[in-house]
Amino acid sequence: MLSPDEAAELIEAIAARQDRAAFASLFRHYAPRVKAFIMRGGTDAETAQEVAQEALIMVWRKAASFDRSRASAATWIFTIARNKRIDLLRRTGRPILSTEDWLAVFAPEKDDADTSILAGQTYTRVKELLGSLSADQLVVIQKAFFEDKTHIVIAEELKLPLGTVKSRIRLALGRLRDALEKDEP
Amino acid sequence: MSRHPAPEELLLDYAAGALAQGPALAVALHVALDPLARRAVERIDALGGAMMEEQGEAALDELALERTLARLDTIAVEPRPAPRTPRPGFEWAPPPLARHIAAEARWRNVLGGFEEIRLRLPGDSHRVSLLRLKPGRGLPMHRHVGAEYTVVLQGGYADSTGNYGVGDFAVGPGPEQHEPIADPGEPCIALIVIERPIVLTGPFGRWLNPLVRRDLI
Repeated sequence: MLSPDEAAELIEAIAARQDRAAFASLFRHYAPRVKAFIMRGGTDAETAQEVAQEALIMVWRKAASFDRSRASAATWIFTIARNKRIDLLRRTGRPILSTEDWLAVFAPEKDDADTSILAGQTYTRVKELLGSLSADQLVVIQKAFFEDKTHIVIAEELKLPLGTVKSRIRLALGRLRDALEKDEP
Repeated sequence: MSRHPAPEELLLDYAAGALAQGPALAVALHVALDPLARRAVERIDALGGAMMEEQGEAALDELALERTLARLDTIAVEPRPAPRTPRPGFEWAPPPLARHIAAEARWRNVLGGFEEIRLRLPGDSHRVSLLRLKPGRGLPMHRHVGAEYTVVLQGGYADSTGNYGVGDFAVGPGPEQHEPIADPGEPCIALIVIERPIVLTGPFGRWLNPLVRRDLI
């Protein structure tokens, strides 16, 4: 296993000195996770493997943009993997949002030093939260992330009124906000 | 001043990568301009990261790591991107948008007294436009058939649903009809993403709607 701090150090080692051993460690841990994540959306193993490799290469290229105070390694790599999924699976020309656009959400801000908690700590809390979501909430969140579906499509698939799906999402995201902001004034 | 955030389910759609290109661009601009929306997407990304980390692994073939390492020989670790210099005349366009405004793009006068730059997004059927309204001027009264997403990029406007300023996000269809009026001060510039052609309901609507449907105006 790789702790959030260890994973962050590996990305920083790539940024600092193009560290191939660090890349190999990250690849061993994350490529199988990215591949599984992509396959859960119904993608075949071969394509999912291609997405995983491309995502990890993007991790190498963008390592200098990683900032552990803004995102955990898992979150940052997820963000890249999601962009690669859009990029490789839709094949509808150049995507409107580049990897830089997706990662911009984690770029440092001048005025937020006091509102952000350490990404490693965030990670632990999000993991706890995931374990405590109701089955109803979890299925909606999983369909969104793994199956790449909008809440409208999810409502159709689950044969639920749109309002029910919206309120499940809002409840789950409200709990996420509470979990991450409980120390804030 | 009240704030108009994007609905949370739309932020989830965005963070999951499920939105079509036009709506994704609208949410990306909202996130670029509104720190609270940015924080919300950061949290949702953290949820996605934890799900990817915790929920399963699929082994790669044995040579995948070696092949990937071999490719790194020709791929550089890129320096952290430098802050961009805004294009003259387009200082209000955050990076995800600036990249898609063609070098030859010019404001074009549209019937009804506003100006427009159309954006062509590959593989997306939404109508995506930048609209510029002079202070105190309005858009023609219209109603929406499909979804509409608006993000204010400069200035502000008001309609029957409230006052909207830079970074604010509006989702249609809202009220049956609406008639946005630009605030006094600088011109109001907004990105508008429309699922299907709007229907003009003012006195000239009957003659203009066929042109709107055929994408001529």
